Amino acid sequence: MRNLRARKLLVAWLLVLPVLAIRLATTAYPTFSVFWYSLRDYSFLLRINEFSGFENLSYLVTDPKIGSAFSFTFTFTVVSITLMLLGGIALAHLLNVQFGARRFLRTTALIPWALPMIVAGIAARWAFNDVYGIVNDLVRRFAADFHYDWLVSPVGAQTAIIAVDFWKNVSFFAILTLAGLQNVPSELHESAKIDGAGPVTLLVRITLPHIRRTLIIVTLFFIMWRLSSFDIVYAMTLGGPGSSTSLLAFRMYEEAFKNLNIGYASSIAVALFLIMAAAGVAGILLYRRVDY
Amino acid sequence: MTGRRTLQRALLIAVTAAVAFVVLWPMYWILISSLKPPGRLFSSPIEYFSLALTLDNYRRLFSGMDVASMAAATGVITGFSLVITMVICTAAGYAFARFDHKLVLLAFGFVIFSAMVPFVISIVPMYVFIRALGLVDTYPGLVLLYTSHLIPFTVAVMTGFIKQIPVTIEEAAEVDGAGMTTIIVRVIGPLLKPAIATVTIINFIICMNEFFIPLIFTIRKIVPLAVGITKVPRDVASHYVEPWDLISAMGMLIMAPIVIFVVIFEKRILSGLMAGSIKE
Repeated sequence: MRNLRARKLLVAWLLVLPVLAIRLATTAYPTFSVFWYSLRDYSFLLRINEFSGFENLSYLVTDPKIGSAFSFTFTFTVVSITLMLLGGIALAHLLNVQFGARRFLRTTALIPWALPMIVAGIAARWAFNDVYGIVNDLVRRFAADFHYDWLVSPVGAQTAIIAVDFWKNVSFFAILTLAGLQNVPSELHESAKIDGAGPVTLLVRITLPHIRRTLIIVTLFFIMWRLSSFDIVYAMTLGGPGSSTSLLAFRMYEEAFKNLNIGYASSIAVALFLIMAAAGVAGILLYRRVDY
Repeated sequence: MTGRRTLQRALLIAVTAAVAFVVLWPMYWILISSLKPPGRLFSSPIEYFSLALTLDNYRRLFSGMDVASMAAATGVITGFSLVITMVICTAAGYAFARFDHKLVLLAFGFVIFSAMVPFVISIVPMYVFIRALGLVDTYPGLVLLYTSHLIPFTVAVMTGFIKQIPVTIEEAAEVDGAGMTTIIVRVIGPLLKPAIATVTIINFIICMNEFFIPLIFTIRKIVPLAVGITKVPRDVASHYVEPWDLISAMGMLIMAPIVIFVVIFEKRILSGLMAGSIKE
C-alpha cells in the first residue's frame, strides 16, 4: 500500500513537471539572475561583462531620467488604481443587474479587455491628436473653440495614458470583482432592505465587507500590472514628451535593448522588483488580517 | 413606488448607453477611418457618416506589407501555444487537484503567484538565456514563452475545475482496473471538455494581446501581427504624416476576429475569467 502511494506521488510529480520546469526556467531563474546581472558592468555594445559591485545602483540613484520614471510610475499606479477601484466596483454592480440589455452590456464591457493594448494605444495616439483626434472632436461639439495637444504637453500625455489604461482595463477589474459580488448572499440584502437600509448602507455595510478579500487580491494583481506596464507607453508616447511618461518598465527596455546596457537595465529591473515585492508583502499581510 | 422603478430603469439604460458609447464609438471611428478615401480622412470636424467608402486603404496595406504571413506567424505561435498549454496544464491541474502533498501544494502556489512577476522584470537574463539556446526569432522560442505566459491562469482554472469532479468516479474506474493514464484520458478528459473550450478561447485572446514577448524575441524572420502594426509607418507609408488610414486598416484586421470571438463566446469568457479569479 505504501509502495502504491509513493508510486502515485511520483506520477503526480511527473504530471506537474512540464509546467513547473517551464515556469522555473522562464520566471524564477531569470528573476534570480537579474540580481546577479545588476552587479555587473555588462554591455552588449562595448562587449564587456565584469563584476562592478554596486556601481549600477549608485548610478541609478543619481540618474535624472530614472527619477522621472519613478515618479510617473508611482503617479500612474496610484491614480489608475484609485480610478479602477471606484469605476470597477460601480461597473461590477452594473454588470450584475438583471435586465434586458445585460448580455449586450457584458459583451460591450469585455471588448476593451480583449483588444490588444498595442492596437488600442496606437489608435489612442491618433485619438488624442489635437486637430483630427476623436477626443477633441467630441469636446468641440460642445465647446467649439477647444484646442489642446494632449501628447505634446507632459501633463496632457500623462492624463491621456491614464485615461487609455482605464478605458482598456476597468472592465477587467469589474469582471473580477463581479466574481466576488456574486458570492454575496442575496438574503442579506433582502433582510437589510426590510430593516430600512438605503443603497449606501447596503454597499458599505454588506457588499464591501463581503468582497474585500476578492478586492484585495484583484487590486494586488492590478498594482503589479500597473507597475510593470510597458505596451501602453510604447504605443502612445515612447516615454515623451521628454521623459515625462517613461514608466520604469519602458526605461529599462530602452537601457537594455536600445543602449544595450545590460547591467544597468538589470539594476532598474531589480529596483522595480523590490517595489513590487514590497507591495506584494503589504497586500498579503492585509489579506491575512481581513476575514470574510 | 412605480415612479421610482421607472426612474431606476431610465437611469440603468442611460448608464448602459454611456458605457456602450465610450467603448463602441472609438471602435466605430477606427472602422470608418479605415474605409475612407485618403483625402477625406484629414477633416475636422470628423465625418462619421460619410458614404464614400472604399477598400483602397486595405489594398495599399496588403501591397506594402506581407500581412498574410504575419497572420500566419501569429496563427502558428498561437496554435502551438494553445495546444501545448492545454496538455501540460491539464496534466498538472489533475495532479494539483488530487494530491494534497505539502510540496505539491507549494509547487501550485509557485505556479499561480509567479504570475505576479511579469516578464518585464526578468527580460534581460531571459534574453541572454534564450539567445544562448539559439531560440531568438524562432517558433520554438516564441511558443515556449507564450506557453509560459498562459500557464498560471490555465493551471488555476483547470485545477479548480478538476477539484469539482467527484473522486468517486475515478475510484469506480479504478475498481474496474483502469490505470492512472486511462483515468485521466478516458474518464476525466471528456468531463473537462467545457473547461478546455473556455480556457482555450480566453488563451487565444491573451495570445493576440501579447506584445512584449514578440517585440523582444523577434527580429525579422518572424513578424506577428502585434509587431506588424508598429511597422506600418516605416514599411508602407512614404510620407511624413502618420499613415492613420493604413494603421486603422491594420488595426481593424487585428480587432475584427477578437471582437467576433467576444460576441460569440461572451458567456464562456466571462465565466472563465471569474473562475480564474476565485482562488482563495
